[in-house]
Amino acid sequence: MTFASPSAGPARERRLWLNRSMLAVALLALWEAGGRFGPERWISRPSAIVARIGDWLADDLMMHLGVTMTEIVVGLGIGLPLGIVLGLLLGRSPRAARVFRPFIVTLNSLPIVALAPLLIMWFGLGLMPKIVLVAFVSFLLLFFNTFSGARAVDEEQIDTLTLMGATGTEKFIKVVLPSCTSWIMAGIKNALPYALIGAVIGEMMLSRAGLGHLITRSAGQFDMTGLYAALFVLMLLGALFNEFANRIEKWLLRWRPAQTKV
Amino acid sequence: MKMTAAQKIHTQPDMAQITLENVTVEFTSRALTVKAVDSISLDIRQGEFVALVGPSGCGKSTALNMIAGLLKPSAGSVTYAGAPVAGPNTRVGYMTQKDTLLPWRTVEDNIAIAFELRARKAEAANARERVREMIELVGLAGFERHYPAELSGGMRKRAALARMLIYEPETLLLDEPFGALDAQLRLVMQQELLRLVERRKMTVVLVTHDLEEAVALADRVVVFTSRPGRIRMMRDIDFARPRVPEKLRFTPEFGAICEELWRELREEVAKSVAHHA
Repeated sequence: MTFASPSAGPARERRLWLNRSMLAVALLALWEAGGRFGPERWISRPSAIVARIGDWLADDLMMHLGVTMTEIVVGLGIGLPLGIVLGLLLGRSPRAARVFRPFIVTLNSLPIVALAPLLIMWFGLGLMPKIVLVAFVSFLLLFFNTFSGARAVDEEQIDTLTLMGATGTEKFIKVVLPSCTSWIMAGIKNALPYALIGAVIGEMMLSRAGLGHLITRSAGQFDMTGLYAALFVLMLLGALFNEFANRIEKWLLRWRPAQTKV
Repeated sequence: MKMTAAQKIHTQPDMAQITLENVTVEFTSRALTVKAVDSISLDIRQGEFVALVGPSGCGKSTALNMIAGLLKPSAGSVTYAGAPVAGPNTRVGYMTQKDTLLPWRTVEDNIAIAFELRARKAEAANARERVREMIELVGLAGFERHYPAELSGGMRKRAALARMLIYEPETLLLDEPFGALDAQLRLVMQQELLRLVERRKMTVVLVTHDLEEAVALADRVVVFTSRPGRIRMMRDIDFARPRVPEKLRFTPEFGAICEELWRELREEVAKSVAHHA
């Protein structure tokens, strides 16, 4: 009889990573071969892309990355807190919720990307229209998540503190806020990729800098290698965001039983 | 104040801590109105231990909710220490059937939460010490840093009990506090509860399905009818205090009282089962 012994854990993990890297290497090799012997003009080659990223690093890649990052960080810095605060406020006061909710739902049914031209006309070519776009998207996502969370608070937990003599503020800090944490985290994890999308789309429409600008610039010159290089940097950025959010969530929600952790 | 003969025996009006007078509760959901409690009158003296028994859904928990001020009666009045209960009653400790431990707090942080509140900061002197004692008392030593999700149902109940007992409210409202515990632990916890209650002269209203528990702990057992809940009978339990439930259980009087109460209760249980069928 064989048992899956727990000590096999790290070994299995190592094998898993070995399998994954083998697959990655195989795919890259296939791509490289396809580029060398096939339509390189359209599909480029991994080695060429890496070389291009190297060139860009020496040139202006960090500047573009910095622009996009600034738009995202500032946009999130505005949108996340606004969404959380308004979500909590409306979620905890049914009367206000009844008044405001239809407006926000209607706003949300607007494809946000369609706002980009308007924002560009209002705010010009600089960072501002992209920051507003990112703030807007992240605000809506956080609002809806926090709102649902605030309404899902266990009223009996609140009653328990009420009977202990807790004030409204104490109940808010000790029950409402922590019980919304998982909803807020889910909202943030949703908002990060959308923030990236918002910033890049804004840049693609009209701008002089940013990763989105790199994409349109490369496309405009039929430079496939540049296009793939820009996409690769974007993908890397998205993956980093996601990993970052996962770590924060894991720490904030460490009280949750392991089975429900995703 | 109007009282029925049965109640007069128990009531010294100046001492009544909790008074329910002709209390009726109706719940309305959509077009349906359900009467949960039908004109109940009950006086509970200060320092008295009253147990409410009856079939499921007979309004026992509803009665506790009203005393806690979390629910307004549809008709009638609820009075606590001479004043009508108009909002949440912060002089009671309430242990609901569902455990309301905060899942993001460890056992010790859950138990200590009362001392973090401004209203109870004054009592928070050597809070750490008291938390430790209380954890020991309910047998959770070694689990201080565990989260509720990591505990069994019985352990969560004990943590909830400790959280309520630690600030020693003058009145305890207990809804099936020992329901999830195994038989031995139940006995131990009952004894601990009695020790604390008898020492502190707390007023207790206990809702339980367990007749023996009611008889072993209470000064008076109130039997509810099936829905809509009315009071079918009350029975004084005159065993001397301090009591030792595990010894009491083996006396002939104890058995006789349980049997007498069971005869009343079984009819109601049968009725409520017939309703559901």
